[in-house]
Amino acid sequence: MGGLQKKKYESGSATNYISRNKARKKLSLSLADFRRLCILKGIYPHEPKHKKKVNKGSTAPRTFYLLKDIRFLLHEPIVGKFREYKIFVRKLRKAYGKAEWSGVQRMKENKPAYKLDHIIKERYPTFIDAVRDVDDALSMCFLFSTFARTGKCHVQTIQLCRRLGVEWMNYIITSRSLRKVFLSIKGIYYQAEVLGQTITWIIPYQFAHDHPTDVDYRVMATFTELYTTLLGFVNFRLYQTLNLVYPPKVKHTKCASIKYMDLHISYQKLAALSASLARTVPSVEDEEAELDHFPAEGEDLEKMETREKMELEQNKQKKLFEGLKFFLNREVPRESLAFVIRCFGGEVSWDKSLCIGSTYDETDETITHHIVDRPTIDKQYINRYYIQPQWVYDCVNGKILLPVEEYFLGVTLPPHLSPFVEESEGDYVPPEKLKLLALQKGEKPQAEEDEEEEEEEEDDEDDEEEDDQSEDEDEAEDEASLAEMEEKRAQGKSLSVKVTPGKVKPENRMRTEQEEKAEEKRLAIMMMKKREKYLYDKIMFGKKRHVREANKLAAKRKAHDDANKPDKKKKKKKC
Amino acid sequence: MAAVRRHKRVAAAQPGFLPIKSSLDGNSSVIKRRKRVNKNKKKSWNRFSDIQDVEEFLDDVRLQERATGGLIAEKTDDTLFFVDTGETEEKDTQAQTTVKKGKHSKPLRIDLILQPDSHIQAPKNVLAFQQPNAKKQRRISERAAKLAAMGVLPRREKLLQLRSAAAASGLSVKEHPVANNNPDRAFYDLWSAGTPETADPYYLEQTKKKLVKRPDRLNEKPSVLPAVEVIAPGGSYNPDFFSHQDLLREAHEVELKKQKAEEKLARQLAVNEDKATEESTFKEQVEGLIEEEEIEPQEPEGDTEDTVMGPTATQEKKTEKQRKKEKAQRIKDLQRKVERQVIDKQQQLFQLRSISASVKKQEQRTEMRQAQRKVQQEAQKSMPRRLGRLKFQTPDLDVQLSDELASSLRSLKPEGSILKDRFKSLQKRNIIEPRERARFNRKYKLKYSEKRAFREIE
Repeated sequence: MGGLQKKKYESGSATNYISRNKARKKLSLSLADFRRLCILKGIYPHEPKHKKKVNKGSTAPRTFYLLKDIRFLLHEPIVGKFREYKIFVRKLRKAYGKAEWSGVQRMKENKPAYKLDHIIKERYPTFIDAVRDVDDALSMCFLFSTFARTGKCHVQTIQLCRRLGVEWMNYIITSRSLRKVFLSIKGIYYQAEVLGQTITWIIPYQFAHDHPTDVDYRVMATFTELYTTLLGFVNFRLYQTLNLVYPPKVKHTKCASIKYMDLHISYQKLAALSASLARTVPSVEDEEAELDHFPAEGEDLEKMETREKMELEQNKQKKLFEGLKFFLNREVPRESLAFVIRCFGGEVSWDKSLCIGSTYDETDETITHHIVDRPTIDKQYINRYYIQPQWVYDCVNGKILLPVEEYFLGVTLPPHLSPFVEESEGDYVPPEKLKLLALQKGEKPQAEEDEEEEEEEEDDEDDEEEDDQSEDEDEAEDEASLAEMEEKRAQGKSLSVKVTPGKVKPENRMRTEQEEKAEEKRLAIMMMKKREKYLYDKIMFGKKRHVREANKLAAKRKAHDDANKPDKKKKKKKC
Repeated sequence: MAAVRRHKRVAAAQPGFLPIKSSLDGNSSVIKRRKRVNKNKKKSWNRFSDIQDVEEFLDDVRLQERATGGLIAEKTDDTLFFVDTGETEEKDTQAQTTVKKGKHSKPLRIDLILQPDSHIQAPKNVLAFQQPNAKKQRRISERAAKLAAMGVLPRREKLLQLRSAAAASGLSVKEHPVANNNPDRAFYDLWSAGTPETADPYYLEQTKKKLVKRPDRLNEKPSVLPAVEVIAPGGSYNPDFFSHQDLLREAHEVELKKQKAEEKLARQLAVNEDKATEESTFKEQVEGLIEEEEIEPQEPEGDTEDTVMGPTATQEKKTEKQRKKEKAQRIKDLQRKVERQVIDKQQQLFQLRSISASVKKQEQRTEMRQAQRKVQQEAQKSMPRRLGRLKFQTPDLDVQLSDELASSLRSLKPEGSILKDRFKSLQKRNIIEPRERARFNRKYKLKYSEKRAFREIE
């Protein structure tokens, strides 16, 4: 006991935090500069646990930073640059005021600039860290590159963003690492796998801008400044990993023409995404690194097998459009489609007057798919499919070439499903997705078509009497297909256990194994502690409820479909 | 002054000196009555000594010098006189030349008037030929010469040499830093392992060549949310019916909640007006017609009661007996309490079952609460925190109604703004604090006045 009485707010959380204004004064920066510094250095405001203590008894809401963070900021060399810039602006203003034009000129030539390289290195100590965090950078860059030159941000920034975006897309094309695409009402979501990292980004549709007023453009511009630097370095390293030339160059077939090709034009060709990139080391195109095989046992073997399977699947997906030749009509989103098609090995071209970089004409006889987004087209070639753009995206998401019939001109399209939804067991799965899953397994398409044909035939034969019947049949078929689906799914799950058919007792063993497992589970449930049991019951109940809801939705859907069916049929007949 | 003095002396030495203006001399010689003054002060000397003659003489000297360039008395006869030998032919030649030259060569009369006609040279302006800091500069130049002899060049010259050398080799010496947003800026391999630093770390630290290590804590993200949140499947441009309905329902619920809150606010803010009833209207109509009965105020009674209430200040003193009695009572109470406790404890032995049940119940409750708290903490990690004056406002869900949905990709009308979406995402991930646009407040009222030109037209 004894000693001096402790004073309030002199230790603990009150001293661990610092308010924004105090931090600003400590760094002797203006608020705008402080904010910029925090964004660049990745210092975020913090919500203290005991606000009243931190705020010295006041409960007014304030922005707090950790004092240690601010102390760390004190060492940043960029702070000095900010001050320099401030002084530069002041001098420039003075010179303007005095109409000293030569002085203005000189000052503008010596405008202070700073670099963010060291900050990038500091925030992302390894390359993989940077790749992991590139989502934000990509979204921002693609967004800024679509801005018009309205003075909302610097023109140079827009150009840099565009350049980086084009570089990134070219990398994705060359490495063929695109996985998913989703056309939403907001923009187009892409997902790629780069060096084992899943990267998602969003690109706005072209010409879709109205500048919202409640967004702080200065803050966004600061983020963009950081992200362009990050993306530039990431791009450089990525190009290096593929032995590509950086800054990227279009690979040229005719040697003579290149020398005279303007730099600007080459950049535009690059941006057209139709040509492949030049490599530093001329390499054979189709070199496939085979997975290393190591002798493994038990679980490892299983894992290896699944991994191999995955690898195979991926390779197959990468060559999805190989050998196909696309032609884009002028009303389809050219850049997005060219990007996606080229990512999966397809060849793509467009009208010469539409954009630079078209490789073949519309009249080319070898074109297999012509992508059109208008109800009819006058001149049609007989040896190519005229399809709507959604087909390309759906194929990518489905990882197979879908039947083109549903995507012909003027046909009502099947819904464009989100590839980002991962249905867990017992969730409601839209029937279109089920169909897709079946197609992926390569089993169903024939049956499906047959069904439809049958239906149509039936319809032709008699109109109203058969309707109910056919519906019943449909239902029955649907159920059957659902049941099949379930079975397959179950099979798919247990596929990891390999069964050789030649042996005598495999089934028995399996059964006993299963029984044993069930028994074990039962016992485990019995042995559970009360609270665990409680939790377990709750979880199981939740699952059941989930399944019930899913079933309900499925039933609803069927009811909806049934209700719509007569309409559809009528429409068909009219056609 | 020195010149003047010299002339005085010279003049005095001249025996046959004749002043030009003799008439002045005559005037001055008029006898004046002398005034008596003190001669012990210079002031009075100046005041009362007559120096006019001297001054006149000096003026005369100056005039002579100006006019002729020296004292006439000193001049030789040749300069003063010449022998007139009649007309020469010079005049004719002069006339011819003037005719040839024409009007222009002749100086203007005004210029001639303005020409200095004094024969005395103007004194030299000494200051004009003086160099400021001559000594210092001389020393500097001496030092520079010395250094140059030793082979040390001044900085400016060194730079100049460097620059010229660079220009010769085609390289620029000083690279202007490239702006961050320059579209042609170059990138390099940032993460390549460069040459390891061999210098003394302490030296590097002190000279600020080594940056302070970034604490690991800063590399953690403030939220677990992903950078790009993909829209729900109902947000597809051509959605599945049910997922679209799901999304719509969600948006609808959000809207409902908002509406409810608004309604509640409106209800609370509504002015509670008295509605006119029959009775009140009648009262209003007859007001003043009927004599009101005066209600006698009953306040004074209440007041008196209030004044009476309150603690009485005086308390009677307890007697010894009373004190003892009270003490005994207290001890008794305490004893009884202890006894009761003992009994209770004994009784608890028989309540064991119920006690254990209650303990279990309590434990269960705490566990449940712990679990709940844990779940809440997990959820908190993905929630936007309160980082400033304003709370995070969830943006409106981007939804297209069934009739707004585009029939094809070509006719799709994008919904919402991605820029706003990104901005909100940054706020949601606690990277920046939510803010609102500063409202413009005019300090003074604007004053409108018509321009005169405009008024004239009217």
